[in-house]
Amino acid sequence: MVRNDISGLFGKSPINPLQQHMKQAHLCLKEFTVFAKAASEGDWEKAEASRALIIKKENKADELKKKLRMNLPSTFMMPFSRRDLLDLLLIQDSIANITKDLAGLMTTRKMIFPTEIASDFLELANVCVNTSDTALEAINELDELLETAFSSRERKKVDVIVSKINALEHESDKTQHQIRTKLFALETTLPPVDVMFYYRAIEWMGETADAAQKVGSRLEVMLAK
Amino acid sequence: MEIIASSYFGIFGFEISIFIMLAIAFGLFMAWGVGANDVANAMGTSVGSGAINIKQAIIIAVIFEFAGAILAGGEVTATIRKGILDATLFVDDPHLLIYGMLASLLAAGFWLMIASSLGWPVSTTHSIVGAIVGFGAVGVGVDAVAWGKVGTIALSWVISPILAGTIAFMLFRSLQNLIIDTENPFDNAKKYVPFYMFLVGFVISLVTIFKGLKHVGLDFDTSTSYLLALGFGAIVAIVGTWWIRGIRLDPAENKDFHFTSMERVFSVLMVITAAAMAFAHGSNDVANAIGPLAAVYGVIESGGMIGAKSILPVWVLLVGGFGIVLGLVTYGHKVIATIGTGITQLTPSRGFAATLAAAATVVIASGTGLPVSTTQVLVGAVLGVGLARGLAALDTRVINKIFLSWIVTLPAGAFMSILFFFALKGMFGA
Repeated sequence: MVRNDISGLFGKSPINPLQQHMKQAHLCLKEFTVFAKAASEGDWEKAEASRALIIKKENKADELKKKLRMNLPSTFMMPFSRRDLLDLLLIQDSIANITKDLAGLMTTRKMIFPTEIASDFLELANVCVNTSDTALEAINELDELLETAFSSRERKKVDVIVSKINALEHESDKTQHQIRTKLFALETTLPPVDVMFYYRAIEWMGETADAAQKVGSRLEVMLAK
Repeated sequence: MEIIASSYFGIFGFEISIFIMLAIAFGLFMAWGVGANDVANAMGTSVGSGAINIKQAIIIAVIFEFAGAILAGGEVTATIRKGILDATLFVDDPHLLIYGMLASLLAAGFWLMIASSLGWPVSTTHSIVGAIVGFGAVGVGVDAVAWGKVGTIALSWVISPILAGTIAFMLFRSLQNLIIDTENPFDNAKKYVPFYMFLVGFVISLVTIFKGLKHVGLDFDTSTSYLLALGFGAIVAIVGTWWIRGIRLDPAENKDFHFTSMERVFSVLMVITAAAMAFAHGSNDVANAIGPLAAVYGVIESGGMIGAKSILPVWVLLVGGFGIVLGLVTYGHKVIATIGTGITQLTPSRGFAATLAAAATVVIASGTGLPVSTTQVLVGAVLGVGLARGLAALDTRVINKIFLSWIVTLPAGAFMSILFFFALKGMFGA
């Protein structure tokens, strides 16, 4: 009979879905290290299986993104701006998107890096995964942030994590620079089209770390409301 | 007068007026509605915060709704009974007041049923006030309505949610500064929660002692009142402290979420606050059902003498209490369960801030004799916690619903009570 109850006041919290989404995006990127390892060994069967997992995780992240958006009417009163939250969601999602595209690119071109830079590329992938892992750690602080009503004490904790993210991203930049320098020296000995796509793959890989860094900075903007 | 005299009939060897019978039946129905719906809103925050389960909520509600109705419900009952209408205009036609009050009960009851089944926002308080104003203004005359009083009541509907929101905001901020945002939230919770327990006991008992108790024949001077309230607050704090002393910090449960142990301390506080809320609700909302019944009884008992000094008989309050319990047992528990599962984001610390703010506001309104909407006060309080960045997502569409309920329920209650008023007039004679 009765539908005049106070529960209508309480919307579904976006925090847990946001954390789930970040986790999924991170797992997607993490799976890429398995893919890259298999690809570098020329084991395309294993790489293809790993790429299937990447696509699955990317799809899952997409679903979570859509679901969160659907459950976020503009009438919600939240402790942060809705705009910032949706931006953050998009940035998180880009981690999974870039990963999927990169795995796709490498599979279709059967891309195997020259031995001189092969291990460097795997290292770069690892640094990127660490960056997104730290970004996930920051996003997981949102529960505590909410409980303390975004107090300065909790925010300092997040600041520390965010500076960790920034340091890792910086490291990824350095690794990228290192790979590019080596690749430049090899350029003339390699097929030009391949070289072009090596550069692109390195760039995309680095973009995942950039996105993870943006997750951290956008989170800080969100908290500062 | 003869209409009243001829309304008596014999049943089981008693002489009873048909009007009293009807008023009891309609009043019971209204009280049932309050118990089935409104109590659930009052208790929902406690259940939703996980501090108490449904069974405990019902037990607390039954005891404290009753206590609130009897100890502090007098002022609002008096307002509904004789504050909204100018009784002197009914001296020549006391039976019109009887028809009107019966019509108001019927109108409010029917409107609540229709609106609820259509999913429209309704408030028992608004329905009954709208109904009484309606029959008074149209059935009797515009002068029959004490417009000054009605204006005050209308103003209180706007002010009460805002006041509750402000109190909740400040309460929550104090929790944040003293307990949550500190090095050791758990230790500070154990240290400061007893003070909040004292506050609950002190505020509720002070208002009750000042304003409510004279209806049950107790009247204290100011200093005694303060002393009694201090004493009562202290008792609540001592009992509460004894209760939380056994709660230990459990590092294992705080691994994923660092505030689990702290929230367990708050859940004890929440139980005490839930009792205060039930008390506050009983003190305000029971009047909606029994105010008109008391008015009818007053006229009949004095043999048609309007304004004859008659105190509110306890059995009238019991009818209200009984109806509420009936509503709770038959239907309310389901609504509480629905609400409880719908508001999981309300942790005990939030639930406490919002519920105490609402309870304090409602009790103050009860003491002043103002019928307010408990649900809307609670909404205001929760929004206050939200403004302090304490809640993840609040749907502000509820605010539109509140406005809608002001705009729709008042005329609807009025219109229906006018219809019933003329129908009763036709049936029993003008």
